[in-house]
Amino acid sequence: MQRLLPYLGYLGIMVLAYALFASGKPMKVAGLFLVSGLAVGSLYALGGIGMVVLYRASGVLNLASGAIGALGVMVAWQLQQWGWAQPITWGVAIALAAALSLVYGRLIAPGLAWRAPVVKAVATLGFALVVLGLTAFAWEDDVRKFTLPTDKAAVMILGLRVTVTRLIVVGAAFALVAGIWLYLTKTRTGLQMRALANDRDLSAMIGVNILRVESIAWGIAGVIAGFTGLMFGDLVRLEPVVITFMVIPAVTAAICGRLDNLGLVLMGGLTMGVVESLLTLSPALKSARPVAPFLIAAVVLIVMQRGQRLLFARD
Amino acid sequence: MNTKLSAGLLAAGVLLAPGIAAASTPSCGANTGEAATGAPILIGGIHGNAAPGDFSSATDAAAAYFSCVNANGGVHGRPIEYMVENDQWNPELAARAAAKLVTDAGVVAMVGNSSFVEMSVNAPLYASSNTMAMAAGCAASECFESSNIVSTNQGPLPSSVGAAMYAVEELGATSVACIGLAIPSVGNWSCGAVEEYMASKGLSGASVLMNPAAPDVNSALLEAIASGADSMLVNLPVGLGIAYFGVAQEQDLGDVYSWTSSTPIYDASVPGALGDYWHGKVYVSAELTQIDGDGPDNLNWQAVMDAYASEDDPRDIFSQSGYLAAKFFVETLMDMDPAQLDDRAAVTDAIKAINGKTSDLVCGPYYVGEADRHMPNHAGIIVVVKDGGFEKVRDCFEYEGACFDGLIEAEKALGLR
Repeated sequence: MQRLLPYLGYLGIMVLAYALFASGKPMKVAGLFLVSGLAVGSLYALGGIGMVVLYRASGVLNLASGAIGALGVMVAWQLQQWGWAQPITWGVAIALAAALSLVYGRLIAPGLAWRAPVVKAVATLGFALVVLGLTAFAWEDDVRKFTLPTDKAAVMILGLRVTVTRLIVVGAAFALVAGIWLYLTKTRTGLQMRALANDRDLSAMIGVNILRVESIAWGIAGVIAGFTGLMFGDLVRLEPVVITFMVIPAVTAAICGRLDNLGLVLMGGLTMGVVESLLTLSPALKSARPVAPFLIAAVVLIVMQRGQRLLFARD
Repeated sequence: MNTKLSAGLLAAGVLLAPGIAAASTPSCGANTGEAATGAPILIGGIHGNAAPGDFSSATDAAAAYFSCVNANGGVHGRPIEYMVENDQWNPELAARAAAKLVTDAGVVAMVGNSSFVEMSVNAPLYASSNTMAMAAGCAASECFESSNIVSTNQGPLPSSVGAAMYAVEELGATSVACIGLAIPSVGNWSCGAVEEYMASKGLSGASVLMNPAAPDVNSALLEAIASGADSMLVNLPVGLGIAYFGVAQEQDLGDVYSWTSSTPIYDASVPGALGDYWHGKVYVSAELTQIDGDGPDNLNWQAVMDAYASEDDPRDIFSQSGYLAAKFFVETLMDMDPAQLDDRAAVTDAIKAINGKTSDLVCGPYYVGEADRHMPNHAGIIVVVKDGGFEKVRDCFEYEGACFDGLIEAEKALGLR
């Protein structure tokens, strides 16, 4: 029951936000904002899940995932302009993101392995700025649009037309949580990742090949970043800077799961999206929408951290 | 005004026609074909280029025109040195850029400025240093409500009012939702004017202001729907505008509302980015005349860009605006005493004396005058997104509203009406 409490807490925040801002509104209007919030929240969650997967295995909070995803989707767009088949461009984008992530994981991250977690996180921020700079150098600011074939099909949910692309994001977020949980609990590499997450020194002493395990984690994180970049490019907008800094709400979603629990990352991301969306209905508070994710993350840190370990106390 | 306007355009055409007989041969300044020599005349320019928008096309075009002038005899034989800074949408950088140009470098004027933040920050400096800014991309109210800034573009207020007028008069709108940026003196200012216009017609209007960095455009769409409007007026920078049309398409709202937009959407790459879904549905209020127009100044702008700008520099409405500001500025310098070209006060006086310049790029006369408010360009055209491009659906018309009354009085006083 105690394990369910945080989930119920997030649900409570959503219900409270609905009662405060949407009560009295016709269900048709309130439903639109609720579903819209869930759709946006699933984007936050998707970004957060990729971060937590890597953080659990390597202790690195990868702030470069947005920039890597942005480069991937820009390359996909460019290849499509040159007439490449869409599925191939998606594959190239994801492969490029995985390769970039691996390059950092193999060449730069090991040199910082024994530094404080905050130093590791700041180093990825530097990498993000380098990748963003390269992307901005390659593609000047211009009007571009990236679309997926799934944008054309949609279903109606509570009066809102939800495209299949958005459903894929929600489905991917749930599938990633389940798939990574299975991977961590049922496979040998998953066990080694958990061992690394628990104690890197001890894991090395008992013979875990740290470089190999971390490389796999960086590769998985890169694939997720590449996929997330494609989704952001389609659903947010094809602007490298905007996609790069989607990492900020993704970090807050990751913090909602205490950089550890993927299920809570998902719930945290969805809650942020819903609260942000429902705030639009309040004339007095709608201008506070951009700070909603950070407020929720702050409340989570205060409430859930009491008497427990600190977030950046892993190493 | 229409008679004067037509006469002006005709006169401009007659005067400029010989110079642009071959569209690919630009005509600039003294048009001597000889490179200018001697000490340069120092001119500054500031644009904003960072997320969420690149407004460098105005200074790109001004730079191209100045290069063309330098290659054609310069100003009284002297070249122009055009120094351009990027404020990156950052007020601190904007202040630093202006200090560098006005205080340190000692420019005699600013030309082609195009930014969301620069003019709001630097208007007091321009006034206190007696420096005129012949801007090309004003967006905030301070830019138009300053003694020392005058712009060739309209800014979001007139452009949005023009879009709202078309929505009411031609598309049957009775309630318009204006979707703007939550930037002080920009979104509330321009969408507020739309609300006032709608109220003056006994109709209703609503402002939906969104954070420029917000990833979630859906909520702005839903807020606009919840306002009960029957017409959407998209008053956003082009990137956000495309995103807004994207989420509206997701909801299949193309035929549910009538759709208008202020100028930023008038960009050659927009119809392709919007896709077939929006063709014939989006009406755009253009601050200057058509990008593919065949007027002499428009053809010369294209020729100057082809000869002196990079291929990658956008050929958009802010580029036209930057070209026009640079052209009017050079014409003003050419009329000055050569001995006074380095005297900022004399240059400022000459700019303030500009009265009734015409061009096929703008619908009305361009003037400056001694005033605390400058908005010479407050008439425009309407184009519709069609067949991968834009098609003009309404020719030059003047915008209505109490906010233009003071300007009309000033124009009467200057003999322009």
